[in-house]
Amino acid sequence: MAFEYAGVDLPIREKTISSQRMSWETIAAPGRWWTGAERVEIARIGRAARDFEAVGSEMLPEAAVYAIQKLVVDNANLNRDWYDQIIAMPGMTEDRYVELVAVVVHSLSIDEFHRALGLALEPLPQPSSGEPSMQRPPEAEQKYSWPPIVPRDGLNPGDEMLYGPWEWGANVISALSLIPENVRWLHDLSEGHYLSFAEMRMPDPLRAISRSQIELIAARVSALNECFY
Amino acid sequence: MLRESSQRSGTLDSLNLQGTVNPDADSGVAHGSLLTAFAEAAVRQSDALPGLRERIATELGLQELVDAAGIVANFQRMVRIADGCGIPLDDFTKEATDDVRDQLGVHEYASAANTA
Repeated sequence: MAFEYAGVDLPIREKTISSQRMSWETIAAPGRWWTGAERVEIARIGRAARDFEAVGSEMLPEAAVYAIQKLVVDNANLNRDWYDQIIAMPGMTEDRYVELVAVVVHSLSIDEFHRALGLALEPLPQPSSGEPSMQRPPEAEQKYSWPPIVPRDGLNPGDEMLYGPWEWGANVISALSLIPENVRWLHDLSEGHYLSFAEMRMPDPLRAISRSQIELIAARVSALNECFY
Repeated sequence: MLRESSQRSGTLDSLNLQGTVNPDADSGVAHGSLLTAFAEAAVRQSDALPGLRERIATELGLQELVDAAGIVANFQRMVRIADGCGIPLDDFTKEATDDVRDQLGVHEYASAANTA
C-alpha cells in the first residue's frame, strides 16, 4: 500500500495519509480526458520538472509536457496569452488542460510534503486501465477565470454539495471545477495538508501550530511564488 | 487570512505583514522567522532545509514540523491553481486587503493582471 511511512519517525496524521492515498488512486484512474497511464505520466513529468529535469514524453502531446513544466517551475509568469496558446495546440483543449493542472498540482503537493520533511518520494502509482469518460458538465460556464467552471448556482442534482454547505467560497475552490471531481479532490487534500473547508472557518483549528502561524507560512509560500491571489 | 487570524487571537497590533515578503522582517508571529525560513528553504529546496527542520523539531516539536510541511505543500498547490487558471482575487479579499497590497509590493507580480 502506498504511503506506509515505514521507518519514518514523524507523527504523520491519519487524514494526511488517507488523502495522499486517495490522490494516488485518483491519479492512476482514467479521468474525463486523459487515461490513467497519461495521468501518471503527467505526474512523472511534473516530478522531474521540480528537480529541473526537462524530460520528454512519448505518451503526451508536446504542449502538455510544456504546460506541466511551466506550471511547476515558472508558475509566476503564466498569463492569458500563454493559456490561449496552450489549449489551441495539438492534443490540448481547455478540458484537458484543467485535468492536467489538477494532476500536476496534487501530485506536486504530495511530493512537496515529502521534500519538506526530507522523506523519499513515494513511487508513482501504477495506472489503472480504462478509457476517459470524455464528459463535460453541461452546466459549465465561462466566468471569472481562464477555463470555464461549474458555477455554484448551476449545480446538477446530486452535485449540490460540491462546494459544501456554504453560500460563499473562494474563487480558487471552483477554478478546476470543469472537472467537478477536482473540487472534492481539492477539498480532501486540503484537509490532509492544511485544513478542511469547515476548519478554515474556525479561528483555532486543531493543529500543533496556531492559526496565525499557519497563515504566515501560507502567505510566505504565496509570496515566494509571486502569487497575487 | 493572516490578519484575520491575528485579529481573532488578539495579536493584530504586533503583526507586521512585511514578514510575509521580507525574510529579514519580524512578522510578530511567535516563531515566525523560523517558520518562514523553513517555508522558503522548502520552496527553494535550499541546503538550509535540513537544519531548519531540526530546529523546528527541537524548538517547537515534531507535530509542529509535520504540520508546517503540510502547509507548505498545500500552498505550493494552491498558488499553481490560481496562477494556472488566471483567477482574480475574491471580492471580499480585494476589499479587505486593499490597503496592504501596495505596501507589500504584490501589485508587481505578473498574476496581478488577473484581477481588474
